[in-house]
Amino acid sequence: MEGRLANSWRLTVNDKNFIKTALLSEIRIDGRKPYEYRKIAIKFGREDGSSEVQLGQTHVMGIVTAQLVQPYRDRPKEGILSIYTEFSPMADPSFEPGRPGELAVELGRIIDRGLRESRSVDTESLCVLAGKFVWAIRIDLHILDNGGNLVDAANIAALAALLTFRRPECSLGGEDGQEVIVHPPEIREPLPLTVHHLPIAITFGFFSNESILVIDPTHNEEAVMSGRMTTTVNANGDICAIQKAGGEGVPQRVIMQCLQLATAKAVGITKQIKEAVEVYNTERALRKIKRHPTSTSVNVREKQNQSIGK
Amino acid sequence: MEQKQSNSPASFIDSTVVPGDVVLDLSSMTNQTVKLGGGLRQDCDAISAMKAGTLRFSKPNKYWVESSQKRYVPCVEDTVLGIVVDSKADNFLIDVKGPAVGFLPVLAFEGGTRRNIPKFEVGTLLYLRVVKANFGMNPELSCTDAGGKAAEFGPLKDGYMFETSTGLSRKLLSSPTCPVLEALGKKLSFEIAVGLNGRVWVNAASPDTIVVVANAIMNSESLSGAQQIIMVEHLLKSIQ
Repeated sequence: MEGRLANSWRLTVNDKNFIKTALLSEIRIDGRKPYEYRKIAIKFGREDGSSEVQLGQTHVMGIVTAQLVQPYRDRPKEGILSIYTEFSPMADPSFEPGRPGELAVELGRIIDRGLRESRSVDTESLCVLAGKFVWAIRIDLHILDNGGNLVDAANIAALAALLTFRRPECSLGGEDGQEVIVHPPEIREPLPLTVHHLPIAITFGFFSNESILVIDPTHNEEAVMSGRMTTTVNANGDICAIQKAGGEGVPQRVIMQCLQLATAKAVGITKQIKEAVEVYNTERALRKIKRHPTSTSVNVREKQNQSIGK
Repeated sequence: MEQKQSNSPASFIDSTVVPGDVVLDLSSMTNQTVKLGGGLRQDCDAISAMKAGTLRFSKPNKYWVESSQKRYVPCVEDTVLGIVVDSKADNFLIDVKGPAVGFLPVLAFEGGTRRNIPKFEVGTLLYLRVVKANFGMNPELSCTDAGGKAAEFGPLKDGYMFETSTGLSRKLLSSPTCPVLEALGKKLSFEIAVGLNGRVWVNAASPDTIVVVANAIMNSESLSGAQQIIMVEHLLKSIQ
């Protein structure tokens, strides 16, 4: 009982009142305007398909892996995309280890819906042999630090990881043409996934007074706000998903306003993700080039030795 | 290590120590009393460090290890900012960012009697003093100074509280005044309460001032004195 009291994070009455009164004059505790997003930093790991996103204090890591599995019966020609979330107690003492909490399930579902329903990842191209082998793409999202608005940060991490992920190339062989040969990355260049568009999740917070609307709420604001809505839109202005779970009701007019704001933000975030991926890809290509001269020079020498030996 | 021990104890002062370092040898200084602060422990005649940090010495006889952490380990006579978590018949349970909740006896107020027990709702912010901090026990807190006077302790009204590292809060309390506060104080008027547990409360007439001060302090974490002044000047220019 006492241990739980010490672990649960709480906001003081002073902070709650201050956040509300400051918002009345359009001031937020981190000095932002109500419709301003926090700074996003996207980093990539050394391996393909791993990303780390920092959104202010929030820190999320995304890892994409793939495996050859048997497809679902009803969809023999489609690959599988699944999302797993990991809320470490290190990020927030209120996250319990082991069992995923309500927030963890909701977060996974929002991102899953955004990616799947909008068909942003081409699952048909993941089919290797209809009914037998398809690629199952697994996205692991690790929350490393909770500074609020985990959904948006995790969504960006998932997209960045998907864009840099490469699956090994494979072909059919064997006597009956039914055997799958997976080519190691040294022999054939691994293939990137086909991502048609980037569904960007943008979260809004509503405060008891319906006219107050903020974008990208922080941890403290999340504790005070009375309603939350996540809209997933892409840079073309298509709405991929909307999540409004509980809390205060929101009039239609406000939802339309949110969608307009979200579309504008999505354009910027899409651009930022693409730029980061571009930088990563060039770096990756450069790494490849650097490795070649050493290997060729060795080969040349071997050949010379051989010819001398002859 | 052996050589260091035989050296005068002054050799460790203001240098980095790690857990296990024997920083003082009491057998060589029997004629004086030594007061130990946070991060030090006594094993017979040897005083050893329990955490990594810088060993500080204050005349005439106080020693402590200074480090910067996100978590706070209560220490006697520290002033802290606590949040009321629950109230029981005899104690208020207070969160002080430590490993265990602190107990604030309901009578630990100036002129406190059974008749006039204050009522605090959950989430009230209090400025407190640590009275007892023993291992395996919940720390005991008080809303009075050692003489039983209220002396600025008690609930803080309005304003905004934010969390910093323990190192930064110690820097804010140091004298001469920390450069950030000095620079901010020249242009803005605000009220501040710093708890050694890494909590800072700021209050001012307008919310913008609170936001500016809070962010300036949070940004100053890893900046040197001169950088802090430049940062504050920059910040003040941008809001004018």
